[in-house]
Amino acid sequence: MSEHPTGPTARSDEGSHAIRSPQNFAAGLSLVALMVFALWAGRDLDQGTLRAMGAGMLPRAIAVLIGLCGAALVAVSFVKDGDPLERWHLRGPFFVCLGILAFAFTIRSVGLAVAGPLVAIVSGVASPETRLRELLAFALVVTAFCIGLFRYVLNLPLPVLIIPPGVLPGLPAGLYL
Amino acid sequence: MDIFSNLALGFSTALTLQNLGLAFVGCLIGTLIGVLPGVGPIATITMLLPITFGLDPVGALILLAGIYYGAQYGGSTTAILVNIPGEATAVVTTLDGHQMAKQGRAGIALGIAAIGSFFAGCVATLIIAALAKPLTGLALLFGPAEYFSLMVMGLVFAVVLARGSILKAVAMILVGLLLSMVGTDLETGAERMTFGYAPLADGIDFAVLAMGIFGFAEVLRNLEHPEARDVVKQRIGRLLPSWEDLKQSAAPVLRGTLLGGALGILPGNGAVLGPFASYTLEKKFAKDPSRFGRGAIEGVAGPESANNAGAQTSFIPLLTLGIPPNAVMALMVGAMTIHGIVPGPQVMTKNPTLFWGMIASMWIGNLMLLVINLPLVGMWVRLLKVPYRLMFPAILVFSCIGIYSVNNSPADVIFTAAFAIVGYAFIKFGFEPAPLLLGYVLGKLMEENLRRALIISRGDIMTFAERPVSAGLLLVALALLVVAVLPAVRKSRNEAFAE
Amino acid sequence: MKKLLVSLAAAVGLAAGSAQAAYPERPITMIVPFAAGGPTDVVARIVGEHMSKTLGQQIVVENVAGAGGTTGIARGAAAAPDGYTIMMGHMGTHGAAPALYPNLKYDPTKDFAPVGLAAGTPILIVTRKDFPAKDLKEFIAYMKANSEKVNEAHAGVGSVSFTTCTLLNSLLGAKPSRVAYRGTGPAINDLVGGQVDYACDQIVNLVPQIQAGTIRALSIATPERSPSLPNVPTTKEGGLPEYEVSAWNAVFAPKGTSPEIVAKLNDALVKALDDENTRKRLLELGGVIPDKAGRSPQALQKLVESEVARWTPVLKAAGATAN
Repeated sequence: MSEHPTGPTARSDEGSHAIRSPQNFAAGLSLVALMVFALWAGRDLDQGTLRAMGAGMLPRAIAVLIGLCGAALVAVSFVKDGDPLERWHLRGPFFVCLGILAFAFTIRSVGLAVAGPLVAIVSGVASPETRLRELLAFALVVTAFCIGLFRYVLNLPLPVLIIPPGVLPGLPAGLYL
Repeated sequence: MDIFSNLALGFSTALTLQNLGLAFVGCLIGTLIGVLPGVGPIATITMLLPITFGLDPVGALILLAGIYYGAQYGGSTTAILVNIPGEATAVVTTLDGHQMAKQGRAGIALGIAAIGSFFAGCVATLIIAALAKPLTGLALLFGPAEYFSLMVMGLVFAVVLARGSILKAVAMILVGLLLSMVGTDLETGAERMTFGYAPLADGIDFAVLAMGIFGFAEVLRNLEHPEARDVVKQRIGRLLPSWEDLKQSAAPVLRGTLLGGALGILPGNGAVLGPFASYTLEKKFAKDPSRFGRGAIEGVAGPESANNAGAQTSFIPLLTLGIPPNAVMALMVGAMTIHGIVPGPQVMTKNPTLFWGMIASMWIGNLMLLVINLPLVGMWVRLLKVPYRLMFPAILVFSCIGIYSVNNSPADVIFTAAFAIVGYAFIKFGFEPAPLLLGYVLGKLMEENLRRALIISRGDIMTFAERPVSAGLLLVALALLVVAVLPAVRKSRNEAFAE
Repeated sequence: MKKLLVSLAAAVGLAAGSAQAAYPERPITMIVPFAAGGPTDVVARIVGEHMSKTLGQQIVVENVAGAGGTTGIARGAAAAPDGYTIMMGHMGTHGAAPALYPNLKYDPTKDFAPVGLAAGTPILIVTRKDFPAKDLKEFIAYMKANSEKVNEAHAGVGSVSFTTCTLLNSLLGAKPSRVAYRGTGPAINDLVGGQVDYACDQIVNLVPQIQAGTIRALSIATPERSPSLPNVPTTKEGGLPEYEVSAWNAVFAPKGTSPEIVAKLNDALVKALDDENTRKRLLELGGVIPDKAGRSPQALQKLVESEVARWTPVLKAAGATAN
């Protein structure tokens, strides 16, 4: 969207010049954070010996190396000029991930006939160019195509439509198709 | 010579009308399914496996081999068009292939991939026919120590893959290694970094990681920069490579074929290194290495040839040793056993019609790929004209179904969403995902072989230096590293002095 | 939107027919808890193909791999007991799993309606071709004297080759170095290459290598010799009769499935095992087909109980856990 990033970058440009590469600085910090997280996640693992290496030896070693890389990046960011931090957009990642999650939570409970259009429409909101009616029609066509291809031509065990009990009065609950 | 009478036997089997038809159908549906984003070769073959059941063994294998080539090529097509690698070997193709597509040269990239693959396939078929038997012994020279050293060499390739900062590339390789260690430890059964969450117990699937970090992150990037993808919409350009393109690609194709073919022979999934090695080589040979990563045709031609040559020669360990070198080949073994053929050292002598028929059908399959795909290039490229506001929801639908159907697991789909965010953060931090994926792919192999070698040597680390093949590989890795790092160091020193 | 859903559902419902029709009225999903192409998958597909013919509805194989097969079985155990979800369990998921996975989400002896035993694959003890011990007797003696020097290859903690070799080692009192591989293929590769010394594994993975002489089979852990390898003596002949194991595969339905449905499924399974072509394909793989008495749901329930009782102490003593 924004060709001229604002926010942290602009501020660091105007403010102190201690951090000359904000992108590297943030990247380095994230690596250090990852090291801490990995060391914590693997805290219970056996170190072992060279003769019989434990499950924890390599993950720990790798985590420390990642931390060192991070520290080096942070150090470099003070001495070398580099790219500014780009702005983070929330709309795209939020709706795309929401759409994917919607698919994951509906595919086994209500089936592809609902999950397919759901992911297309929810994620469609991520783009400002989306035209709802067009997307709706397109989503139904794509889903119908997928049902035909995956369920019927390829015979994959994908649930197509499952009616949960009590949702549609007059129709018995259960698996359709 | 023996090889000619054998090949004649093979072609007499493969050239029946039915078998030709099967090779054609296999390549076609393999391509059509494999081209769906999110549906990599493994998913494609799993999906299509049941349709081979009704056939006689030779026909079924020919159909399957066709599906396999088609799926491979279909995977490269998605890598080029939408930047989603269906499997590890297509990661390299995304680097320059997708850049070419963005510059309106998608058709040329697809065309050169098909032509390079065809050439590689022809050479690899000959290699298999002539050398399958003697090469078996070579593969057995590789024990855990040698594989470990080979993987170390592979990691050095990953450094060379990087466009930008070497430090960041190294960090990404390490993160890839760390991710590969998530899950149940093979050696001890301990759960590593799984937080007791059951779906993580088997680790992170490659398709999940690649889809999130490459494919979905790319979608997020495109949503943010509408101008970056409009280029694709405006100019389609030539559909097929020009004479100039072909001349430029000839040497890379040849080198890629040889490299990929050689690595594919190793039973420990050496084929996965082929495209990476080829890319490294081409980048080093290029007069202007900075073109790489910005749509250099050599960066597609070499790795794609290496990929196909490796895909082909990895049948050698399968057919002669009965050992599947990777997940796709393991699936092929399963398919063969269902048809009552257990691949092993004796297939060649006990069932020569099948063995040579299959080798002949490899060549036919490659020809079919070319015949099917050159006309299809136009269609694929036209797909890029679909407005992005419709294209990305479609990519998401296909990807979700593809990821779900690999293990029939909704958790896998959820992980892709998580990795999409991670991939998005990487873009913002200036990290490249390709080294991470290579680190991830090689990580498991490297750790497992390291630990095996140390158990067998009873903890003696000198085992890697004492075994000649292993020592040789480590030396090559060291040399490559020096070659890769030196220019960067010199450059940054110059910069430092300039200031 | 809701209107659309209703009409869609109605259209679909019509096609599906009424819920009271005779079982089975739509395709049946068979969960195979391993990746496509493995021994259990192959057995499931061969048997399932013939069962589909008898039942008049297709059996769709759904591969749900993970955690030594327990992921798929846990999902199957939790499925609706309507006969439309069944699963192919095996020695690991219904015998060794309770010892290997302390947090197992199902109880093999209580949470299933057993349908029947499908086919087993015998376990072989194999060595690299130049290993000093030439037969099982020499192997036992060698292991008793030098087991610390010996390297065993297995296909990962929780795999059939791991479990069955754990039993062998404990019977021999041997403590070899155990080298883990990701699956049988690479393990056998290193055995062929002479990097490791011995392994225990299912016959289907080994026959071609043995016939080609690239590895040596010491013994087969079944009461009788296998027709695919008539020269390989049994463990009984070799002086280790306690070592009798087979990687059996069996069809299970979720607990609560009605006896009529179980009977129908069992009938289809038995018919498949009697079919000449199915038998031939299973035997080609080195499979062992259960005799008439062994095919009933009751026999399967007994087998599961005895297997759990047998593996739990062995694996616990070896300190093996996959969690």
